[in-house]
Amino acid sequence: MHPAGLAVAGTPRQPSKRRTPVSQPGMADPHQLFDDTSSAQSRGYGAQQAPGGLGYPAPSASPQAAFLADPVSNMAMAYGSSLAAQGKELVDKNIDRFIPVTKLKYYFAVDTMYVGKKLGLLFFPYLHQDWEVQYQQDTPVAPRFDINAPDLYIPAMAFITYVLVAGLALGTQDRFSPDLLGLQASSALAWLTLEVLAILLSLYLVTVNTDLTTIDLVAFLGYKYVGMIGGVLMGLLFGKIGYYLVLGWCCVSIFVFMIRTLRLKILAEAAAEGVPVRGARNQLRMYLTMAVAAAQPLLMYWLTFHLVR
Amino acid sequence: MMQPQQPYTGQIFQPTQAYTPTTPQPFYGNSFEDEPPLLEELGINFDHIWQKTLTVLHPLKVADGSIMNETDLAGPMVFCLAFGATLLLAGKIQFGYVYGISAIGCLGMFCLLNLMSMTGVSFGCVASVLGYCLLPMILLSSFAVIFSLQGMVGIILTAGIIGWCSFSASKIFISALAMEGQQLLVAYPCALLYGVFALISVF
Repeated sequence: MHPAGLAVAGTPRQPSKRRTPVSQPGMADPHQLFDDTSSAQSRGYGAQQAPGGLGYPAPSASPQAAFLADPVSNMAMAYGSSLAAQGKELVDKNIDRFIPVTKLKYYFAVDTMYVGKKLGLLFFPYLHQDWEVQYQQDTPVAPRFDINAPDLYIPAMAFITYVLVAGLALGTQDRFSPDLLGLQASSALAWLTLEVLAILLSLYLVTVNTDLTTIDLVAFLGYKYVGMIGGVLMGLLFGKIGYYLVLGWCCVSIFVFMIRTLRLKILAEAAAEGVPVRGARNQLRMYLTMAVAAAQPLLMYWLTFHLVR
Repeated sequence: MMQPQQPYTGQIFQPTQAYTPTTPQPFYGNSFEDEPPLLEELGINFDHIWQKTLTVLHPLKVADGSIMNETDLAGPMVFCLAFGATLLLAGKIQFGYVYGISAIGCLGMFCLLNLMSMTGVSFGCVASVLGYCLLPMILLSSFAVIFSLQGMVGIILTAGIIGWCSFSASKIFISALAMEGQQLLVAYPCALLYGVFALISVF
């Protein structure tokens, strides 16, 4: 991400409306070069119009014609606008194939209350009792109505905030330059992608029958950025002691949060109720859940320790 | 494929204007006096620009949802250039970063608002709103010309201005898109975007 290279100069776009263009000012010349085929003038001067109206230079007494009044330009304009409309339709139809927009909309159906409660849960998950997502006729309820549902608003905002806070931290150490923001963003994104792929691979290897979708997984893995931001901000305000204290607290909280959430998704029904079930498969799944949960604090420390001096 | 030609009566969102054609003359006709002024033809309406600017400058005034119906990028372009110019006065030649970050920020807000709202938004509307709400940031960068913003006063001023910008932007978005209970959620990404601009101004 190199903002320096993206010198995008937007051009002022006029509101698209159909209108009849009018003649150029200041060129009212009796020996004008174009036939005026616009009806307002032509009705008045019918006799004087040269009817061959393709707009080519023909000396006649009619006033200055509008550039777009002749049929060829009209056709070109209509063709151009229909082409643009077709292109837009094509993009709209095909974007669903690459990015499941309607599925994503579910993860962004949040409101302020949900976000507040979820942030509270991320920092203090110890008192929450019921971690099961409510269903409504086979589809999970939107995050707005159930605090246990995963959402993508918090992870996305936390990720971007993390990149900016990293920029701020580097700025206070006089190590800031705008392309560092891009560097931080790409490296954090790379770590996230790596994590998602590793977990997907291990889920596949363990042959777990779960309804944990990829987007759900991205959402859960994105929650640790909240703790990271807290740690770095405390580190900026109170130095290393504050950083370690807050980061330690957030690490433990996210560990507990992940275990309690993933347990319901990965482990079999019986084990999720808290009854320890013997058997190799469930052992393996338990280890996988613990490994995923334990990876979170490690990554939290790895991605933030160089920001706090 | 002749389109029916209609005389342009010079109306741009103002239904009360009416042109009275002058008497036709043999050679010139009423073409010169009849045409609308250049600004109207370009779609730059100073009155609307001024209204929108006032909406941004009074953060506590209730925003009217219909003012964002016409996408107007002339005002935001001016504000972006003014921001870059004030940065230039402080010795930071970063027009490229300003444009790049505003482009990426507008794209991000466009995706987010489309995902979060019931009705979608157009990219022009998002760019227009974010551009207008950049106005207080210009104040910040002009302060940065005179005294450095890295002290406590600077931090408080920066935080205040970021809050002002994002509050106005979220207020306009909420009223234009009819999203309830989500003002803080919309204000936060706007605050992040303006925070990046502030980062450029301060450091």
